[in-house]
Amino acid sequence: MPRLNTFTLEIKTGENAGPERPQYSINSFPLDFDESQGSAAPGAVLKVTGTPQSFPHTLLLIGPSEGCWDIESVHATYDCADEDPYTIHLGAVSLDDNSDLNIWYERPATAFDV
Amino acid sequence: MPSWFKKVFTGGAGKAVPEQEEPLSSDVSIVDAPSQESPALGQPDTSDYEQPKAREVVYAPVIMSEDEQSAYSEEVRVKARVEGDYQSCVFMVDRPLLKGSSVWLPGTEWAKDVSPLAEALFAIEGVGTVLIHDFTVTLTLTQENRRSWEEIMKGVGAAIRAHLKSDDPVVSQEFLDALPPEDEIRSRVSKVIEMEINPGIASHSGVVTLERVDGNSVYITMGGGCQGCAASAITLRQGIHTAFRKSVPELGAIYDETDHTAGTNPYFSELPAGMA
Repeated sequence: MPRLNTFTLEIKTGENAGPERPQYSINSFPLDFDESQGSAAPGAVLKVTGTPQSFPHTLLLIGPSEGCWDIESVHATYDCADEDPYTIHLGAVSLDDNSDLNIWYERPATAFDV
Repeated sequence: MPSWFKKVFTGGAGKAVPEQEEPLSSDVSIVDAPSQESPALGQPDTSDYEQPKAREVVYAPVIMSEDEQSAYSEEVRVKARVEGDYQSCVFMVDRPLLKGSSVWLPGTEWAKDVSPLAEALFAIEGVGTVLIHDFTVTLTLTQENRRSWEEIMKGVGAAIRAHLKSDDPVVSQEFLDALPPEDEIRSRVSKVIEMEINPGIASHSGVVTLERVDGNSVYITMGGGCQGCAASAITLRQGIHTAFRKSVPELGAIYDETDHTAGTNPYFSELPAGMA
């Protein structure tokens, strides 16, 4: 498992808005994002950056404390130690006050055309 | 079809996996002497704690990039992916090879009269075992092999293409007709799990569960101390596979569907009772 230095999420919100200041958790520890641009209003894009500097056994985007957050898409870019950054694209999902989104994906295995 | 295959060729579907409950804090109040109302010495007093609410971890579908998507064409498209531990290589074909059943062959002598495709693959130097299921061919190398997967891949792709252009079946009808029914496979595999595997891994608080049988392919999950364990891949390959294949030689694919990253602390799970 690589050491995750920083990661950036570009979250496009769907119909229902998300929290003003979403949090993430790494290995069950909730943390604020270090940088935040945009908003989680319907149709808007929120760009947030986390700097966990740690080994992510679990990395979650914490769901809203109330209501439902419709996420249309997430582009997650990971910058791990001694590796080039890589990006994962996630599709639509909804979060509520009882759910968190898994946002940790290791670098996809390379598949070769043979 | 295993979930990773869907991710590569079709994109994964969203799923929700119940999160394990947070373990209780291990803080222990220091007391002068245990009373009848107090918990036993060494046991945490949890009477004042409110049980944390179990949360759900949601998985969004992973969207493929355009260059990963495979369009159906006249030319057979084959992708190769070396598995993380370098022990095996999965060749994903853009059309079905063997639907409904699977075949695992441990050497060229086993492939004779069973699978012309496997015979062609065993002709490639270094190929040790062949598993054919659905859209995939999974190979392992012989112990004596000194060639890398990169040296072998192109030959395997060419062999699969050449076979699909021929009129030969992937697996002979006689082999498929002789496969036992699912109920019999389920019963025999369950017996192996109950009598051999679970007693063997019980000392590590591990447990293996047979989730389902599809044709002669089985899907298992590893729970308890095995879930998230760094040695689970070795347990699966050297323990479970070997025991299954010895007792049920007709078995084809064996898939581990365990989410080894699930839970609040998958790689450092709670110690068994009495060891805390």
